[in-house]
Amino acid sequence: MAATADRTLYARRRRRNGVMMAFAYAATLFGVGWLVLILGVLLWEGFNGVSLQVFTEMTPPPGGAGGLLNPIMGSLILTTLGVAIGTPIGIFAGTYMAEYGRYEHLTSVVRFINDILLSAPSIVIGLFIYEVMVAPMGHFSGLAGAVALAVIVIPVVVRTTEDMLLLVPNALREAAAALGLPRAYIVRRIAYRAARAGIITGVLLAIARISGETAPLLFTALNNQFWSTDLGAPMASLPAVIFQFALSPYADWQRLAWTGALIITVTVLALSIIARALTASRKAS
Amino acid sequence: MNIAAANASVRSSSSTSVPVPAHAAVDTKNLREKVSIRNLDFFYGASKALKDITLPLYENKATAFIGPSGCGKSTLLRILNRMYDLYPNQRATGEVSFDGDDVLSPKQDLNLLRSRIGMVFQKPTPFPMSIYENIAFGVRLYEKLSRSELSSRVESALRRAALWDEVKDKLSANGLSLSGGQQQRLCIARTVAVKPEVILFDEPCSALDPISTAKIEELIDELKRDYTIVIVTHNMQQAARVSDFTAFMYLGSLVEFGPTQVIFTSPKDQRTQDYITGRFG
Amino acid sequence: MPMQPHTIASYDTDLKELDALVSEMADDAVSALEDAAKALATGDVALAQTVIAADAEMDRLQHSIEGKAVSTIATRQPVAIDLRQIISTIRIANDLERIGDLAKNVAKRVIAMGEQPTSIKVASSLAPLAARVGEQLQNVTVAYRNRDDAMALEVWRSDGAIDTLHTSLFRELLTYMMEDPRSIGVCAHLLFCAKNLERVGDHATNIAETTHYMIMGDMLSSDRPKADGSSGVDPNWGPNNT
Repeated sequence: MAATADRTLYARRRRRNGVMMAFAYAATLFGVGWLVLILGVLLWEGFNGVSLQVFTEMTPPPGGAGGLLNPIMGSLILTTLGVAIGTPIGIFAGTYMAEYGRYEHLTSVVRFINDILLSAPSIVIGLFIYEVMVAPMGHFSGLAGAVALAVIVIPVVVRTTEDMLLLVPNALREAAAALGLPRAYIVRRIAYRAARAGIITGVLLAIARISGETAPLLFTALNNQFWSTDLGAPMASLPAVIFQFALSPYADWQRLAWTGALIITVTVLALSIIARALTASRKAS
Repeated sequence: MNIAAANASVRSSSSTSVPVPAHAAVDTKNLREKVSIRNLDFFYGASKALKDITLPLYENKATAFIGPSGCGKSTLLRILNRMYDLYPNQRATGEVSFDGDDVLSPKQDLNLLRSRIGMVFQKPTPFPMSIYENIAFGVRLYEKLSRSELSSRVESALRRAALWDEVKDKLSANGLSLSGGQQQRLCIARTVAVKPEVILFDEPCSALDPISTAKIEELIDELKRDYTIVIVTHNMQQAARVSDFTAFMYLGSLVEFGPTQVIFTSPKDQRTQDYITGRFG
Repeated sequence: MPMQPHTIASYDTDLKELDALVSEMADDAVSALEDAAKALATGDVALAQTVIAADAEMDRLQHSIEGKAVSTIATRQPVAIDLRQIISTIRIANDLERIGDLAKNVAKRVIAMGEQPTSIKVASSLAPLAARVGEQLQNVTVAYRNRDDAMALEVWRSDGAIDTLHTSLFRELLTYMMEDPRSIGVCAHLLFCAKNLERVGDHATNIAETTHYMIMGDMLSSDRPKADGSSGVDPNWGPNNT
C-alpha cells in the first residue's frame, strides 16, 4: 500500500466490503436453502412411491393400486409433438432474423412480439388454443394440447436461435462470402455448424420448459384416466394428473402425485445438465 | 493509365512544400492493369468515405495501401470484391473495372466475382470443420473433382501456403486447433485453392507474431508470381518489404501512388513523407 | 526546413546530433584547408605542424559519424528524407576526411619545402587556386547546413573553373622548371600541392552532389563539367579552339 494512502479510509472500505460479502453469502444460502428444501421434500415424498408399478400400470381409481403409465406416455407424446411442431418454426424464424433480415424493420418488430410471447402466461395460450381448436372441434384433444405446447416452444427457440446465430462472428461469414459461397450455403454449412451447440441447447431448454406446463393442457388436452394415444381425444399428461391427484383427499393418489412430480423434476434436471454439458464442451473446443 | 495520370488527378489538391524532384518516368509500359479504379466514391449512408479515387492495380504485382487510421484503405479494399454488399446503407459510385468487367454493376454475379477475387482477413477465421474440409469446401462448390483430384488440390493449396509439412499428418483435425499463424496460413490456402486471380489481404499479419509474419510475407512474395496482390497494412515497413507499388491514403483521398522504392526514398507529397517518417500528428 | 518534428522526439535528437557532428567536421576541414593554404603562402612551418596534428581529430569525427549513422539506421528504420540524410552524412564524412588528409599532405610538403630557397615566390602562385577551393568548401558547408539546393548546385557547376585554374597552374610550374632547373625540387612539391588542392575541389563537389541528393532525392548526372587538361587530353586545346 502506498505510503500516502489514508489508513482509516482503507479500513472503512474493508469493513464495508466485509459487511456486503456477508449479505451476499446470506442471500445465497437463503435462496439455495429453499431450493434444497424443495428438492429434499420432493425426493422424500416421491421416492417412496417409485416402483416398477409406476411405470407399467395405468392411473388407478381412488383406493386402488396403479401407476402413471398413461400420463407418462401422454406427456411424452404431447411434448414430442409440441417440440416437433414448434422447433422448425422457431429455427427458421430465428434464422431469418439473424441471417437474412438482420437489418430489416420487420425483424425488430418480430423480436419485440417474440419477447412478449416468451413471457406470456401459459394459461392465456391454453385459452387461445381452446377458442381456436377445441371449441370448433367440439371436444378436447391431444392435438390441441400439442399445439398449445408448440406455441410455448416457438418463442424460446426463436430467441435462442437468433441469439446463437448472432454470436457467430461476422468475420466467419465474411470469410465464407469472400470465397464466393452463396448465402444459403453460408447459413447452412457455416453459421448453423458454428451455432449448433447453442441451438440444440435452446431446444433442450424449451423441452424442459414445456415438460412441466399444466395450465395450457387443462384447456386443451384435458386429461384421460385410461390409456389413449389418440390425438383426437383427450390425453393424459403428468402435470394434469398431478393436479388432479394432489388436490384429492386420497392418500394413494397423493403419493402418486408426489412421484409424478419427482419424475418431472428429474427429467428437467437431466435435460438441463445435458444442455449445460453441451455448452461446456463447446467452450472447451 | 500510368502513374503520372494517377498523381495528376491528386496533385491539384495536394499541398507540396517539398520541392518536386526531377524523376525519370517509371516504366509501366510492360505492366498490365488487372483492376482499374476510376473516380470511385464510397458512401456510408450519407457520409462520403472515399473521394474520387483513381488508381491502377497491376497484374502479378503487389500493391500496398497505407495510411493512418480511418483513411479509407480497408474500405477501398473491400469494394474490390463487393464485400460492402453484405451490409445495408453502403454504396459505391464510379468505375472499378476488373479485366474489363464492371465490378460495381448490379448485374455482376457476386459469388463468381468473389471466387475470382479472394480475400484474407485480419483475424484468422478457419471454418468450424477439419483442415481438409476447410479447403475442400470452397473448391467443391465451383468444380466437380474426383476424390483424388480434390486431395491433390488440397495438398497443393497447403503447399503454396507453406503449411503442408506442418499439417499433413492431421488433415482431419479441427481447423481451430492450429496456432494463430497456422490458422492464417490455412485461410490463405483456402483462398488459393479456388484459384482466384486477385488476392486481397486486409492487415493479414496484425494478429501474428514476427516469425509467422515473416513466413506470410515470404508467401506473398511467392504468390506475386501468379496472382495480383493487394495488401492493406498499417505497418509501413511491411508495405516497403512486400509491395511493388504503394498508395498512400489520407481522409478518404488518394494522396500519392507510385513504385514502392520511390515512395520510401523520395516521395513527392509532404504528407506522404510526414506519414512514412513518423512525423504525422 | 519547414518540417514537422517526429512523433518520437528522440529520433529528432539523433538526427540533430548527427548533423552537428557533420557541421563540426566541415568547419574543421575548412580551417585545416585555410591553415594549409596560409602555411603554403608564407612558408610557416609551425602552422603546417598544427594542420598535421589536427587531422587525427578529423579521423575521430568520421568514425563517430559513421557509428552514429549506422546505429540510427538500425534503431529507427529510416525512410525517405531521413534515410537520405543519414546516408548523406556517411558519404560527406568520408569526403571531409579525405579533404583533411589532402590538407595534411599539403602541410607536409610545406615542411619539406621549408628547407629550400625561392619557395615562397613560386608558392604564392598557388594562392588563387587555394582561395577558390577554400571558397567552394566554405560554400558547400553553408549549403549543407542551410539545406540550400541552389547553392549546392552552384558549387557543383563551379568545379570546372577550378580545373581550369589547375591546368594553367600546371603549365606555369612547368615553365618555372624549364627556366630554372634549381627550382625543380620546389616545383615538384608544388605540383603535388596543386594536385591536392584540385582534389579538394573534387571532394567539395562530391559533397555538393550528396547535399543535392539529400535535399531533392535524385542523383546528379555523373557528367559534371570537367575541364582538367593536366592529364593530357585537354578538351580546350586543339586546332578548333583558339
